Amino acid sequence: MHVVLEKTLKNASSYFQNFLIHEYGVRGTLHAIDARVKLLSSFSFVILAVSTFDLEKLLFLLISLLAVSTVLGVNLKSLFKRVWLFTVFSFIVVSPFLLQNPEYPFLFTLRVLITLISLQLLVMTTSFAEICFAMRSFKIPQLFVHALWLAYRYILVVFQDIVSILLARESRRVAKGSHRDLWKKGGEAIGLFFLRSIERAERIQLAMASRGEKIFEMRAKVGMLEIIYITLSAFIILWWLAL
Amino acid sequence: MHIPDGYLDLSIAGIFFILSFIVLGYSLYRLRSEKLTSLFGVLSAAIFAAQMLNWPIPGGTSAHFVGGSLAGILLGPYAGALAMAIVLTIQTLVFNDGGITAWGANVWNMAIVNVFLGYYLYQFLSKFNRNLGAFIAGWLGITVAAIFAGFEIGLSTSFAYGLSITIPVMGLWHAILGVIEGIITAGVVAYLATRRADLLEKKEVGRASFALIAVLIALSPIFAYFAEIVGYSEPLENAAEMLELEESPIYEGLLPDYTIPGLDPYIGTLISGAIGVMIVLMLAYAVRYARSSRKDT
Repeated sequence: MHVVLEKTLKNASSYFQNFLIHEYGVRGTLHAIDARVKLLSSFSFVILAVSTFDLEKLLFLLISLLAVSTVLGVNLKSLFKRVWLFTVFSFIVVSPFLLQNPEYPFLFTLRVLITLISLQLLVMTTSFAEICFAMRSFKIPQLFVHALWLAYRYILVVFQDIVSILLARESRRVAKGSHRDLWKKGGEAIGLFFLRSIERAERIQLAMASRGEKIFEMRAKVGMLEIIYITLSAFIILWWLAL
Repeated sequence: MHIPDGYLDLSIAGIFFILSFIVLGYSLYRLRSEKLTSLFGVLSAAIFAAQMLNWPIPGGTSAHFVGGSLAGILLGPYAGALAMAIVLTIQTLVFNDGGITAWGANVWNMAIVNVFLGYYLYQFLSKFNRNLGAFIAGWLGITVAAIFAGFEIGLSTSFAYGLSITIPVMGLWHAILGVIEGIITAGVVAYLATRRADLLEKKEVGRASFALIAVLIALSPIFAYFAEIVGYSEPLENAAEMLELEESPIYEGLLPDYTIPGLDPYIGTLISGAIGVMIVLMLAYAVRYARSSRKDT
Protein backbone atom coordinates (compact mmCIF):
# COMPACT_ATOMS: atom_id res chain seq x y z
CA MET A 1 0.00 0.00 0.00
CA HIS A 2 2.94 2.36 0.65
CA VAL A 3 3.61 2.53 -3.12
CA VAL A 4 0.07 3.72 -3.80
CA LEU A 5 0.31 6.22 -0.99
CA GLU A 6 3.68 7.54 -2.06
CA LYS A 7 2.78 7.89 -5.73
CA THR A 8 -0.59 9.38 -4.91
CA LEU A 9 0.81 12.01 -2.58
CA LYS A 10 3.52 12.92 -5.08
CA ASN A 11 0.95 13.28 -7.84
CA ALA A 12 -1.50 15.14 -5.62
CA SER A 13 1.02 17.65 -4.30
CA SER A 14 1.77 18.89 -7.80
CA TYR A 15 -1.95 18.90 -8.57
CA PHE A 16 -2.88 20.89 -5.47
CA GLN A 17 -0.07 23.35 -6.03
CA ASN A 18 -1.87 24.18 -9.28
CA PHE A 19 -5.20 24.08 -7.53
CA LEU A 20 -4.48 26.91 -5.16
CA ILE A 21 -2.27 29.10 -7.32
CA HIS A 22 -5.06 31.22 -8.76
CA GLU A 23 -6.81 31.55 -5.41
CA TYR A 24 -3.87 33.05 -3.56
CA GLY A 25 -1.58 34.34 -6.31
CA VAL A 26 -0.61 37.97 -6.89
CA ARG A 27 -3.60 39.89 -8.21
CA GLY A 28 -3.05 41.71 -11.48
CA THR A 29 -5.43 43.80 -13.57
CA LEU A 30 -6.93 40.76 -15.24
CA HIS A 31 -8.08 39.50 -11.82
CA ALA A 32 -10.33 42.53 -11.46
CA ILE A 33 -12.24 41.91 -14.70
CA ASP A 34 -15.67 40.31 -14.50
CA ALA A 35 -15.46 36.50 -14.85
CA ARG A 36 -18.23 36.44 -17.48
CA VAL A 37 -16.20 38.66 -19.79
CA LYS A 38 -13.05 36.57 -19.27
CA LEU A 39 -14.92 33.31 -19.79
CA LEU A 40 -16.35 34.49 -23.10
CA SER A 41 -13.12 36.03 -24.35
CA SER A 42 -11.03 32.95 -23.44
CA PHE A 43 -13.55 30.70 -25.14
CA SER A 44 -13.45 32.93 -28.25
CA PHE A 45 -9.63 32.83 -28.36
CA VAL A 46 -9.68 29.04 -28.11
CA ILE A 47 -12.21 28.85 -30.95
CA LEU A 48 -10.01 31.12 -33.09
CA ALA A 49 -6.92 29.02 -32.41
CA VAL A 50 -8.55 25.71 -33.27
CA SER A 51 -10.18 27.10 -36.42
CA THR A 52 -7.00 27.59 -38.40
CA PHE A 53 -3.61 26.22 -39.41
CA ASP A 54 -2.57 29.57 -40.88
CA LEU A 55 0.82 30.54 -39.42
CA GLU A 56 0.14 34.28 -39.72
CA LYS A 57 -3.15 34.03 -37.82
CA LEU A 58 -1.68 31.77 -35.15
CA LEU A 59 1.36 33.99 -34.60
CA PHE A 60 -0.84 37.07 -34.41
CA LEU A 61 -3.00 35.38 -31.78
CA LEU A 62 0.00 34.18 -29.78
CA ILE A 63 1.68 37.59 -29.77
CA SER A 64 -1.58 39.33 -28.87
CA LEU A 65 -2.27 36.97 -25.97
CA LEU A 66 1.26 37.29 -24.66
CA ALA A 67 1.03 41.09 -24.91
CA VAL A 68 -2.29 41.08 -23.07
CA SER A 69 -0.90 38.72 -20.40
CA THR A 70 2.20 40.86 -19.84
CA VAL A 71 0.40 44.17 -19.63
CA LEU A 72 -2.48 42.92 -17.50
CA GLY A 73 -0.30 41.40 -14.82
CA VAL A 74 -0.15 37.68 -15.62
CA ASN A 75 3.23 36.29 -14.62
CA LEU A 76 4.70 34.90 -17.85
CA LYS A 77 6.98 32.53 -15.96
CA SER A 78 4.02 30.97 -14.12
CA LEU A 79 2.07 30.92 -17.37
CA PHE A 80 4.77 28.94 -19.21
CA LYS A 81 5.23 26.64 -16.24
CA ARG A 82 1.59 25.67 -16.61
CA VAL A 83 1.54 25.21 -20.38
CA TRP A 84 4.93 23.85 -21.43
CA LEU A 85 4.39 20.22 -20.51
CA PHE A 86 1.35 19.62 -22.66
CA THR A 87 2.80 21.69 -25.49
CA VAL A 88 5.91 19.50 -25.57
CA PHE A 89 3.77 16.36 -25.29
CA SER A 90 1.66 17.49 -28.27
CA PHE A 91 4.78 18.09 -30.33
CA ILE A 92 6.10 14.62 -29.51
CA VAL A 93 2.76 13.06 -30.47
CA VAL A 94 2.78 14.60 -33.96
CA SER A 95 6.57 14.61 -34.50
CA PRO A 96 6.47 11.48 -36.73
CA PHE A 97 5.04 13.82 -39.40
CA LEU A 98 8.18 15.99 -39.41
CA LEU A 99 9.60 14.34 -42.53
CA GLN A 100 6.33 13.98 -44.39
CA ASN A 101 4.99 17.48 -43.70
CA PRO A 102 7.54 19.53 -41.73
CA GLU A 103 5.15 22.45 -41.11
CA TYR A 104 2.34 20.40 -39.58
CA PRO A 105 3.90 19.44 -36.20
CA PHE A 106 4.87 23.05 -35.51
CA LEU A 107 1.49 24.48 -36.49
CA PHE A 108 -0.35 21.80 -34.51
CA THR A 109 1.77 22.47 -31.43
CA LEU A 110 1.33 26.23 -31.83
CA ARG A 111 -2.45 25.76 -31.87
CA VAL A 112 -2.31 23.70 -28.69
CA LEU A 113 -0.02 26.25 -27.00
CA ILE A 114 -2.40 29.12 -27.84
CA THR A 115 -5.45 27.26 -26.54
CA LEU A 116 -3.63 26.49 -23.30
CA ILE A 117 -2.57 30.13 -22.87
CA SER A 118 -6.12 31.33 -23.65
CA LEU A 119 -7.61 29.12 -20.98
CA GLN A 120 -4.89 30.05 -18.49
CA LEU A 121 -5.83 33.73 -18.87
CA LEU A 122 -9.11 32.67 -17.26
CA VAL A 123 -7.89 29.96 -14.89
CA MET A 124 -4.96 31.89 -13.39
CA THR A 125 -6.90 35.09 -12.78
CA THR A 126 -10.36 33.94 -11.71
CA SER A 127 -11.51 32.28 -8.51
CA PHE A 128 -13.68 29.22 -8.98
CA ALA A 129 -16.58 30.96 -7.17
CA GLU A 130 -16.49 33.68 -9.85
CA ILE A 131 -16.43 31.05 -12.62
CA CYS A 132 -19.48 29.36 -11.04
CA PHE A 133 -21.21 32.74 -10.81
CA ALA A 134 -20.44 33.38 -14.49
CA MET A 135 -21.88 29.98 -15.39
CA ARG A 136 -25.08 30.76 -13.48
CA SER A 137 -25.29 34.09 -15.33
CA PHE A 138 -25.21 32.13 -18.60
CA LYS A 139 -28.22 30.14 -17.35
CA ILE A 140 -26.42 26.88 -16.72
CA PRO A 141 -28.79 24.93 -14.42
CA GLN A 142 -28.55 25.72 -10.73
CA LEU A 143 -28.25 22.09 -9.62
CA PHE A 144 -25.20 21.59 -11.83
CA VAL A 145 -23.45 24.83 -10.84
CA HIS A 146 -24.13 24.45 -7.12
CA ALA A 147 -22.90 20.85 -7.16
CA LEU A 148 -19.83 22.02 -9.08
CA TRP A 149 -19.08 24.61 -6.41
CA LEU A 150 -19.61 22.10 -3.61
CA ALA A 151 -17.36 19.56 -5.33
CA TYR A 152 -14.61 22.16 -5.65
CA ARG A 153 -14.90 23.10 -1.98
CA TYR A 154 -14.78 19.50 -0.80
CA ILE A 155 -11.91 18.20 -2.93
CA LEU A 156 -9.27 18.94 -0.28
CA VAL A 157 -11.45 17.63 2.54
CA VAL A 158 -12.21 14.31 0.86
CA PHE A 159 -8.62 13.97 -0.26
CA GLN A 160 -7.52 14.20 3.38
CA ASP A 161 -10.06 11.46 4.09
CA ILE A 162 -8.62 9.12 1.48
CA VAL A 163 -5.07 9.71 2.65
CA SER A 164 -5.99 8.98 6.27
CA ILE A 165 -7.70 5.74 5.22
CA LEU A 166 -4.61 4.66 3.29
CA LEU A 167 -2.30 5.67 6.16
CA ALA A 168 -4.38 3.74 8.68
CA ARG A 169 -4.27 0.63 6.51
CA GLU A 170 -0.56 1.03 5.93
CA SER A 171 0.12 1.33 9.66
CA ARG A 172 -1.79 -1.91 10.29
CA ARG A 173 0.00 -3.84 7.55
CA VAL A 174 2.47 -6.46 8.75
CA ALA A 175 3.55 -8.18 5.53
CA LYS A 176 4.38 -7.08 2.01
CA GLY A 177 1.47 -8.15 -0.17
CA SER A 178 1.37 -9.08 -3.86
CA HIS A 179 -0.10 -6.79 -6.53
CA ARG A 180 -3.31 -8.81 -6.34
CA ASP A 181 -3.49 -8.21 -2.58
CA LEU A 182 -2.79 -4.54 -3.04
CA TRP A 183 -5.56 -4.10 -5.61
CA LYS A 184 -8.03 -6.05 -3.45
CA LYS A 185 -7.18 -4.05 -0.32
CA GLY A 186 -7.18 -0.88 -2.42
CA GLY A 187 -10.70 -1.65 -3.65
CA GLU A 188 -11.82 -2.06 -0.05
CA ALA A 189 -10.14 1.21 0.94
CA ILE A 190 -11.91 3.09 -1.85
CA GLY A 191 -15.17 1.33 -0.89
CA LEU A 192 -14.80 2.63 2.66
CA PHE A 193 -13.88 6.05 1.32
CA PHE A 194 -17.01 6.22 -0.88
CA LEU A 195 -19.14 5.05 2.02
CA ARG A 196 -17.77 7.84 4.22
CA SER A 197 -18.27 10.34 1.40
CA ILE A 198 -21.91 9.31 0.92
CA GLU A 199 -22.54 9.62 4.65
CA ARG A 200 -20.82 13.01 4.65
CA ALA A 201 -23.01 14.08 1.71
CA GLU A 202 -26.12 13.03 3.62
CA ARG A 203 -25.06 15.12 6.64
CA ILE A 204 -24.26 18.12 4.44
CA GLN A 205 -27.63 17.82 2.68
CA LEU A 206 -29.39 17.93 6.04
CA ALA A 207 -27.30 20.91 7.16
CA MET A 208 -28.00 22.71 3.88
CA ALA A 209 -31.71 22.03 4.17
CA SER A 210 -31.73 23.49 7.68
CA ARG A 211 -29.99 26.63 6.42
CA GLY A 212 -32.19 27.12 3.38
CA GLU A 213 -29.87 25.54 0.77
CA LYS A 214 -28.28 28.78 -0.38
CA ILE A 215 -24.90 27.83 -1.84
CA PHE A 216 -23.46 31.12 -2.95
CA GLU A 217 -24.54 34.51 -4.05
CA MET A 218 -22.42 36.99 -5.93
CA ARG A 219 -23.00 40.20 -7.71
CA ALA A 220 -20.93 41.71 -10.46
CA LYS A 221 -21.27 44.58 -12.83
CA VAL A 222 -19.81 45.45 -16.18
CA GLY A 223 -17.88 48.72 -15.77
CA MET A 224 -15.30 50.67 -17.75
CA LEU A 225 -12.61 48.05 -17.15
CA GLU A 226 -14.79 45.33 -18.66
CA ILE A 227 -15.80 47.52 -21.61
CA ILE A 228 -12.16 48.20 -22.47
CA TYR A 229 -11.30 44.49 -22.14
CA ILE A 230 -14.24 43.60 -24.40
CA THR A 231 -12.97 46.18 -26.93
CA LEU A 232 -9.49 44.68 -26.71
CA SER A 233 -10.79 41.14 -27.24
CA ALA A 234 -13.06 42.30 -30.07
CA PHE A 235 -10.10 44.02 -31.72
CA ILE A 236 -8.03 40.82 -31.56
CA ILE A 237 -10.92 38.75 -32.93
CA LEU A 238 -11.69 41.18 -35.77
CA TRP A 239 -8.04 41.54 -36.73
CA TRP A 240 -7.72 37.73 -36.75
CA LEU A 241 -10.82 37.44 -38.96
CA ALA A 242 -9.46 40.02 -41.35
CA LEU A 243 -6.03 38.34 -41.67
CA MET B 1 -8.18 10.10 -22.04
CA HIS B 2 -8.88 13.84 -21.65
CA ILE B 3 -8.85 15.35 -25.13
CA PRO B 4 -7.22 18.80 -25.12
CA ASP B 5 -8.14 21.78 -27.30
CA GLY B 6 -6.66 21.68 -30.78
CA TYR B 7 -7.01 17.92 -31.31
CA LEU B 8 -10.63 17.96 -32.51
CA ASP B 9 -12.17 19.69 -35.50
CA LEU B 10 -14.75 22.28 -34.46
CA SER B 11 -17.50 20.42 -36.34
CA ILE B 12 -16.87 17.24 -34.33
CA ALA B 13 -16.43 19.14 -31.06
CA GLY B 14 -19.77 20.87 -31.77
CA ILE B 15 -21.62 17.61 -32.41
CA PHE B 16 -20.43 16.16 -29.11
CA PHE B 17 -21.34 19.35 -27.26
CA ILE B 18 -24.90 18.99 -28.56
CA LEU B 19 -25.12 15.27 -27.78
CA SER B 20 -23.73 15.78 -24.26
CA PHE B 21 -26.09 18.69 -23.60
CA ILE B 22 -29.06 16.53 -24.64
CA VAL B 23 -28.16 13.67 -22.29
CA LEU B 24 -27.05 15.88 -19.37
CA GLY B 25 -30.12 18.10 -19.84
CA TYR B 26 -32.35 15.03 -19.75
CA SER B 27 -30.51 13.73 -16.68
CA LEU B 28 -31.09 17.06 -14.89
CA TYR B 29 -34.75 16.91 -15.92
CA ARG B 30 -35.08 13.40 -14.48
CA LEU B 31 -33.48 14.46 -11.20
CA ARG B 32 -35.26 17.82 -10.90
CA SER B 33 -37.42 16.87 -7.92
CA GLU B 34 -34.67 15.26 -5.86
CA LYS B 35 -32.54 17.10 -3.32
CA LEU B 36 -29.22 15.89 -4.60
CA THR B 37 -26.93 18.92 -4.68
CA SER B 38 -24.70 17.74 -1.83
CA LEU B 39 -24.67 14.14 -3.05
CA PHE B 40 -23.41 15.25 -6.47
CA GLY B 41 -21.01 17.73 -4.97
CA VAL B 42 -19.37 15.50 -2.38
CA LEU B 43 -19.35 12.38 -4.53
CA SER B 44 -17.90 14.30 -7.46
CA ALA B 45 -15.16 15.49 -5.12
CA ALA B 46 -14.70 11.88 -3.96
CA ILE B 47 -14.39 10.60 -7.55
CA PHE B 48 -11.92 13.40 -8.23
CA ALA B 49 -9.83 12.42 -5.18
CA ALA B 50 -10.03 8.70 -6.04
CA GLN B 51 -8.71 9.52 -9.52
CA MET B 52 -5.51 10.70 -7.91
CA LEU B 53 -4.70 7.26 -6.53
CA ASN B 54 -1.91 5.72 -8.56
CA TRP B 55 -2.03 1.94 -8.73
CA PRO B 56 1.30 0.30 -9.41
CA ILE B 57 1.41 -2.09 -12.35
CA PRO B 58 4.05 -4.85 -12.57
CA GLY B 59 6.88 -3.44 -14.64
CA GLY B 60 7.27 -0.13 -12.86
CA THR B 61 4.46 1.97 -14.31
CA SER B 62 1.21 3.02 -12.68
CA ALA B 63 -2.37 3.78 -13.67
CA HIS B 64 -5.13 5.81 -12.13
CA PHE B 65 -8.77 5.08 -11.56
CA VAL B 66 -11.43 6.89 -13.66
CA GLY B 67 -14.57 5.82 -11.83
CA GLY B 68 -17.23 6.29 -14.53
CA SER B 69 -18.77 2.84 -14.15
CA LEU B 70 -18.59 3.03 -10.36
CA ALA B 71 -20.39 6.39 -10.44
CA GLY B 72 -23.15 4.78 -12.54
CA ILE B 73 -23.43 1.75 -10.24
CA LEU B 74 -23.55 3.85 -7.04
CA LEU B 75 -25.66 6.78 -8.17
CA GLY B 76 -27.58 5.45 -11.15
CA PRO B 77 -26.82 6.53 -14.73
CA TYR B 78 -28.36 10.03 -14.61
CA ALA B 79 -26.78 11.16 -11.34
CA GLY B 80 -23.57 9.30 -12.21
CA ALA B 81 -23.29 11.10 -15.55
CA LEU B 82 -23.80 14.46 -13.85
CA ALA B 83 -21.23 13.68 -11.15
CA MET B 84 -18.65 12.72 -13.79
CA ALA B 85 -19.50 15.84 -15.83
CA ILE B 86 -18.81 17.93 -12.71
CA VAL B 87 -15.43 16.24 -12.26
CA LEU B 88 -14.55 16.89 -15.91
CA THR B 89 -15.66 20.54 -15.67
CA ILE B 90 -13.41 21.14 -12.66
CA GLN B 91 -10.54 19.42 -14.43
CA THR B 92 -11.02 21.69 -17.45
CA LEU B 93 -11.59 24.96 -15.63
CA VAL B 94 -9.11 24.57 -12.78
CA PHE B 95 -6.40 22.24 -14.00
CA ASN B 96 -6.65 22.79 -17.74
CA ASP B 97 -6.91 18.98 -18.01
CA GLY B 98 -9.03 18.52 -21.14
CA GLY B 99 -9.94 21.32 -23.52
CA ILE B 100 -12.82 23.74 -23.30
CA THR B 101 -13.87 23.06 -26.91
CA ALA B 102 -13.36 19.33 -26.29
CA TRP B 103 -15.50 19.43 -23.11
CA GLY B 104 -18.49 17.97 -24.97
CA ALA B 105 -16.45 15.07 -26.34
CA ASN B 106 -14.78 14.39 -22.97
CA VAL B 107 -18.14 14.42 -21.20
CA TRP B 108 -19.58 12.15 -23.89
CA ASN B 109 -16.78 9.60 -23.47
CA MET B 110 -16.20 9.57 -19.73
CA ALA B 111 -19.49 10.82 -18.26
CA ILE B 112 -22.01 9.33 -20.66
CA VAL B 113 -20.62 6.32 -22.56
CA ASN B 114 -18.57 5.08 -19.58
CA VAL B 115 -21.30 5.69 -16.96
CA PHE B 116 -24.32 4.41 -18.93
CA LEU B 117 -22.50 1.41 -20.38
CA GLY B 118 -20.99 0.56 -16.98
CA TYR B 119 -24.35 0.84 -15.27
CA TYR B 120 -26.24 -1.34 -17.74
CA LEU B 121 -23.49 -3.95 -17.96
CA TYR B 122 -23.47 -4.19 -14.17
CA GLN B 123 -27.26 -4.43 -13.98
CA PHE B 124 -27.31 -7.21 -16.56
CA LEU B 125 -24.29 -9.22 -15.39
CA SER B 126 -24.80 -8.88 -11.63
CA LYS B 127 -27.79 -11.22 -11.96
CA PHE B 128 -25.25 -13.97 -12.60
CA ASN B 129 -22.26 -12.81 -10.54
CA ARG B 130 -22.11 -9.42 -8.84
CA ASN B 131 -18.32 -9.10 -8.65
CA LEU B 132 -17.77 -10.31 -12.19
CA GLY B 133 -20.46 -7.87 -13.36
CA ALA B 134 -18.69 -4.98 -11.61
CA PHE B 135 -15.31 -6.03 -13.06
CA ILE B 136 -16.63 -6.21 -16.63
CA ALA B 137 -18.56 -2.94 -16.20
CA GLY B 138 -15.39 -1.18 -15.01
CA TRP B 139 -13.14 -2.72 -17.63
CA LEU B 140 -15.41 -2.48 -20.66
CA GLY B 141 -16.81 0.93 -19.68
CA ILE B 142 -13.39 2.60 -19.81
CA THR B 143 -12.27 0.63 -22.89
CA VAL B 144 -15.32 1.63 -24.95
CA ALA B 145 -15.01 5.24 -23.73
CA ALA B 146 -11.39 5.24 -24.97
CA ILE B 147 -12.47 3.79 -28.33
CA PHE B 148 -14.94 6.69 -28.66
CA ALA B 149 -12.13 9.14 -27.88
CA GLY B 150 -9.98 7.44 -30.54
CA PHE B 151 -12.83 7.73 -33.00
CA GLU B 152 -13.32 11.45 -32.34
CA ILE B 153 -9.67 12.42 -32.71
CA GLY B 154 -9.10 10.00 -35.59
CA LEU B 155 -11.96 11.50 -37.55
CA SER B 156 -10.70 15.06 -36.99
CA THR B 157 -8.57 16.34 -39.84
CA SER B 158 -6.68 18.61 -37.40
CA PHE B 159 -5.09 15.49 -35.95
CA ALA B 160 -3.00 13.87 -38.66
CA TYR B 161 -3.37 10.28 -37.48
CA GLY B 162 -6.28 8.39 -38.99
CA LEU B 163 -8.84 6.08 -37.41
CA SER B 164 -6.68 3.04 -38.20
CA ILE B 165 -4.14 4.31 -35.68
CA THR B 166 -6.14 6.23 -33.08
CA ILE B 167 -8.78 3.57 -32.37
CA PRO B 168 -6.38 0.63 -31.85
CA VAL B 169 -3.94 2.75 -29.81
CA MET B 170 -6.62 4.15 -27.51
CA GLY B 171 -8.66 0.94 -27.38
CA LEU B 172 -5.82 -1.50 -26.78
CA TRP B 173 -3.99 0.61 -24.24
CA HIS B 174 -7.14 1.24 -22.23
CA ALA B 175 -8.21 -2.41 -22.53
CA ILE B 176 -4.98 -3.27 -20.71
CA LEU B 177 -5.15 -0.46 -18.13
CA GLY B 178 -8.89 -1.06 -17.82
CA VAL B 179 -8.21 -4.37 -16.06
CA ILE B 180 -7.15 -2.35 -12.98
CA GLU B 181 -10.26 -0.19 -13.31
CA GLY B 182 -12.31 -3.40 -13.38
CA ILE B 183 -10.54 -4.91 -10.35
CA ILE B 184 -10.97 -1.74 -8.27
CA THR B 185 -14.62 -1.36 -9.32
CA ALA B 186 -15.26 -4.98 -8.32
CA GLY B 187 -13.40 -4.45 -5.03
CA VAL B 188 -15.46 -1.37 -4.15
CA VAL B 189 -18.74 -3.09 -5.10
CA ALA B 190 -17.84 -6.20 -3.06
CA TYR B 191 -17.01 -4.04 -0.04
CA LEU B 192 -20.19 -1.95 -0.32
CA ALA B 193 -22.32 -5.08 -0.74
CA THR B 194 -21.25 -6.21 2.73
CA ARG B 195 -21.63 -2.76 4.36
CA ARG B 196 -24.42 -0.87 2.58
CA ALA B 197 -26.10 -3.13 0.05
CA ASP B 198 -28.90 -0.54 -0.36
CA LEU B 199 -26.48 1.65 -2.34
CA LEU B 200 -26.20 -1.04 -4.99
CA GLU B 201 -29.92 -1.49 -5.52
CA LYS B 202 -31.23 -1.00 -9.04
CA LYS B 203 -31.97 2.64 -9.77
CA GLU B 204 -35.19 3.63 -11.49
CA VAL B 205 -34.51 4.19 -15.21
CA GLY B 206 -37.27 4.46 -17.81
CA ARG B 207 -37.09 1.98 -20.69
CA ALA B 208 -37.84 4.63 -23.31
CA SER B 209 -35.09 6.94 -22.05
CA PHE B 210 -32.67 4.01 -21.89
CA ALA B 211 -33.48 3.15 -25.50
CA LEU B 212 -33.09 6.78 -26.59
CA ILE B 213 -29.71 7.26 -24.90
CA ALA B 214 -28.50 3.87 -26.17
CA VAL B 215 -29.47 4.92 -29.71
CA LEU B 216 -27.69 8.28 -29.29
CA ILE B 217 -24.53 6.50 -28.09
CA ALA B 218 -24.70 4.00 -30.93
CA LEU B 219 -25.30 6.69 -33.54
CA SER B 220 -22.85 9.29 -32.24
CA PRO B 221 -20.00 8.06 -34.48
CA ILE B 222 -22.29 8.50 -37.49
CA PHE B 223 -23.20 12.05 -36.39
CA ALA B 224 -19.50 12.80 -36.03
CA TYR B 225 -18.77 11.32 -39.45
CA PHE B 226 -21.39 13.52 -41.11
CA ALA B 227 -20.21 16.56 -39.17
CA GLU B 228 -16.74 15.96 -40.59
CA ILE B 229 -18.11 15.56 -44.13
CA VAL B 230 -19.99 18.85 -43.83
CA GLY B 231 -16.79 20.40 -42.44
CA TYR B 232 -16.43 23.81 -40.96
CA SER B 233 -15.52 27.11 -42.49
CA GLU B 234 -16.59 30.68 -42.03
CA PRO B 235 -20.40 30.79 -42.55
CA LEU B 236 -20.17 34.22 -44.21
CA GLU B 237 -17.51 32.96 -46.62
CA ASN B 238 -19.70 29.97 -47.47
CA ALA B 239 -22.69 32.21 -48.11
CA ALA B 240 -20.62 34.55 -50.31
CA GLU B 241 -19.26 31.61 -52.28
CA MET B 242 -22.76 30.17 -52.81
CA LEU B 243 -24.05 33.54 -54.00
CA GLU B 244 -20.95 34.03 -56.18
CA LEU B 245 -20.27 37.36 -54.54
CA GLU B 246 -16.93 39.06 -54.84
CA GLU B 247 -15.27 41.35 -52.38
CA SER B 248 -15.85 45.03 -53.13
CA PRO B 249 -15.10 47.00 -49.97
CA ILE B 250 -16.62 50.43 -49.50
CA TYR B 251 -13.58 51.51 -47.55
CA GLU B 252 -10.20 49.87 -47.98
CA GLY B 253 -8.98 50.86 -44.53
CA LEU B 254 -5.74 52.50 -43.54
CA LEU B 255 -3.75 49.31 -44.11
CA PRO B 256 -5.50 47.49 -46.98
CA ASP B 257 -4.76 43.72 -46.83
CA TYR B 258 -2.14 44.42 -44.14
CA THR B 259 0.08 46.38 -46.51
CA ILE B 260 1.14 50.01 -46.66
CA PRO B 261 0.51 51.60 -50.06
CA GLY B 262 3.80 52.40 -51.81
CA LEU B 263 5.86 50.06 -49.61
CA ASP B 264 7.21 46.60 -50.33
CA PRO B 265 4.39 44.14 -49.34
CA TYR B 266 6.62 42.20 -46.89
CA ILE B 267 7.81 45.35 -45.14
CA GLY B 268 4.22 46.66 -45.21
CA THR B 269 2.89 43.48 -43.58
CA LEU B 270 5.62 43.68 -40.96
CA ILE B 271 4.84 47.29 -40.12
CA SER B 272 1.07 46.73 -40.12
CA GLY B 273 1.59 43.75 -37.81
CA ALA B 274 3.62 45.95 -35.49
CA ILE B 275 0.87 48.58 -35.59
CA GLY B 276 -1.69 45.91 -34.67
CA VAL B 277 0.38 44.78 -31.70
CA MET B 278 0.81 48.42 -30.62
CA ILE B 279 -2.97 48.87 -30.67
CA VAL B 280 -3.41 45.71 -28.58
CA LEU B 281 -0.81 47.00 -26.12
CA MET B 282 -2.46 50.44 -25.94
CA LEU B 283 -5.86 48.89 -25.27
CA ALA B 284 -4.32 46.60 -22.67
CA TYR B 285 -2.75 49.61 -20.95
CA ALA B 286 -6.14 51.34 -21.09
CA VAL B 287 -7.63 48.37 -19.19
CA ARG B 288 -4.85 48.65 -16.63
CA TYR B 289 -5.41 52.39 -16.29
CA ALA B 290 -9.16 51.87 -15.89
CA ARG B 291 -8.40 49.34 -13.16
CA SER B 292 -6.18 51.72 -11.24
CA SER B 293 -8.84 54.44 -11.45
CA ARG B 294 -11.41 51.93 -10.15
CA LYS B 295 -9.10 51.25 -7.18
CA ASP B 296 -8.84 55.00 -6.44
CA THR B 297 -12.59 55.52 -6.25
